[in-house]
Amino acid sequence: MGRVLLGLTVSALPVMALAPAAAPPAKLLVAGGGAIRGRVEFLREERPSPRRPAIADLGMPAAHETPDDRVAVVYLESAPRGAFEERPGPSVVLDQRNETFVPHVLAVTTGTTVQFLNSDKTYHNVFSLSKPKRFDLGRYPTGRSKSVRFDRAGIVRVFCEIHSHMSAFILVFAHRHFAVTGARGEYRIEGLPPGTYTVAVWHPVLAAKTRTVRVEEGGDLELDFELT
Amino acid sequence: MARGAMAGRLTRRMSVLALGLWAAGAVASAQDGAAANSSAPRLLAFGVEGLASVSTDDDAYFNYSSYGQSATRLLRLRVDASLRIGERAAVLAEGRMDNGDGASLSALYLRVRPLADRPLDIQAGRIPPVFGAFARRAYGADNPLIGQPLAYQYLTSLRSDSLPASADDLLLMKGQGAASYYPIGTPTWDTGLPLVASDRWDTGIQARWAAERVTVAAAVSQGTLSNPRVRDDNSGKQVSARVEIRPLLGLVLGASAARGDYVTSAARAALPLEARDRSHAQRAFGADAEFSRGYWLLRAEGVWSRWSVPTVRKPFLTSPLGAWGVFLEARRKIRPGLFAATRVDHLGFSRVTAYGTSLTWDAPVSRVELGAGFSVRRNLLLKAAVQQNWRSGAAYSEKIAAAQALFWY
Repeated sequence: MGRVLLGLTVSALPVMALAPAAAPPAKLLVAGGGAIRGRVEFLREERPSPRRPAIADLGMPAAHETPDDRVAVVYLESAPRGAFEERPGPSVVLDQRNETFVPHVLAVTTGTTVQFLNSDKTYHNVFSLSKPKRFDLGRYPTGRSKSVRFDRAGIVRVFCEIHSHMSAFILVFAHRHFAVTGARGEYRIEGLPPGTYTVAVWHPVLAAKTRTVRVEEGGDLELDFELT
Repeated sequence: MARGAMAGRLTRRMSVLALGLWAAGAVASAQDGAAANSSAPRLLAFGVEGLASVSTDDDAYFNYSSYGQSATRLLRLRVDASLRIGERAAVLAEGRMDNGDGASLSALYLRVRPLADRPLDIQAGRIPPVFGAFARRAYGADNPLIGQPLAYQYLTSLRSDSLPASADDLLLMKGQGAASYYPIGTPTWDTGLPLVASDRWDTGIQARWAAERVTVAAAVSQGTLSNPRVRDDNSGKQVSARVEIRPLLGLVLGASAARGDYVTSAARAALPLEARDRSHAQRAFGADAEFSRGYWLLRAEGVWSRWSVPTVRKPFLTSPLGAWGVFLEARRKIRPGLFAATRVDHLGFSRVTAYGTSLTWDAPVSRVELGAGFSVRRNLLLKAAVQQNWRSGAAYSEKIAAAQALFWY
């Protein structure tokens, strides 16, 4: 009960920080449970900040991919009881490819191990100084990967020490009721018992939005967001 | 009273630095916002860096650079900008304000890739140096310590605008690079020349060809390594070149060379006729290596420079004056955001014969620097370091403690 109450007390992303660690990563569908689905529309085109001018370089900087910023994360600010049940954490891969983190936005549950794979021909040095997880993986070569387990909820900003234009976001949730939007902005959060929920959408740059909705037994609720 | 005035001056300078950072940030934010509302490609990019260094007294001027300022006592605001012109050209500029003494344009050049399918780049204007590796570590965070390598900063007693008449004159100024004076040329006390001036960039044109494992660059410019210039002061040009190879992942090896006339026209005009027509050049060679793996970063670099110095009376300088600087640098990350670093550095000089004996023409200098850095945020770095400096062996030594705060975005 206490765990659920913790999740109910907050708004926006702090829910991730207050909820307990080591929550279940696997889907736990509620019999007859409802779902929230919809689309996130990006009304403002947002591009990543340009890299710092390479004033001391002797020529054009090497080309690199620009991350897809038309990705958002939709999640419940308050999760139902049972969402925090502990399960062994899964493992996911965050690739480093063409001097870009792929994906640019990753959402995981606490207890998840993220493997940082280097698919480039150069060294990378992944690090983060974010409060939920400070780490520095050092420089490692092509084909190798190093892993980090995320046990505290929150937003972890990830960078490469060698390539200052590289960055990624890892959103660590204490519950499993979240979804990363697809190619057309679509999302779906399943396995929700009937109840009233506050649904939030997060984007790296655009302003977050929240909506309060009621999910009925076995019903699919459609909820769209527009980010400006 | 004097302390109060100094504090007031420092406060004013800190205010200027803070105001500058705020203004630059506002410009960058405004530009970000404007670009975000547009579907056009982003043309303009900014980088801002503020740096504040403080240290204990450096009475023997071990850390003073070609600008007559110390790397360990510096307030610096720099703003970098690049304006992209199409897909294959850009204008890059850097404005700098040191110690609140007024802004200057430290870089301004055009970068062009003439052929879309060839990795050939041309840069023209006030350009980054081709020679060596350290001088292109442009940002403060690229230097794990607070001091700079001796070869790139330490002032020798030699000058380009004031010349010794004899070897005796030269030896009289031994160890006095912070303020030297000679009888031929400009009759005032001024700072001497470093082997390579890393704080100032030369003006000219350069070309770079970059392949996967090899990079080759060459430049023609107005000044010399030790005295980069915006305007030519002697009708001579410097030619410099560099080859860089990357045989293994994490290993970079470089070799550089440069040659340029360094004596000013005014100083040359003060020479006897027979000495004026000779070439008085700085020739330099450099070798550098960088190796990194895991939490280690190791760098080593050597610079060997020779200046031909005209003398007009006995005892003559019968051969060019040589100087070599060598350093080894190591950085080890200890935990996220925290690193330790060290640099062992030496600057040596060739010998000349005067007073019936053979002596080095300037006083050899050695330095060991130990330091640590802590990143409070990704773009806020605090550094602390201690230096032990020796001049002329153990004849004179000085310990300096320094701290530095560095902020950028």
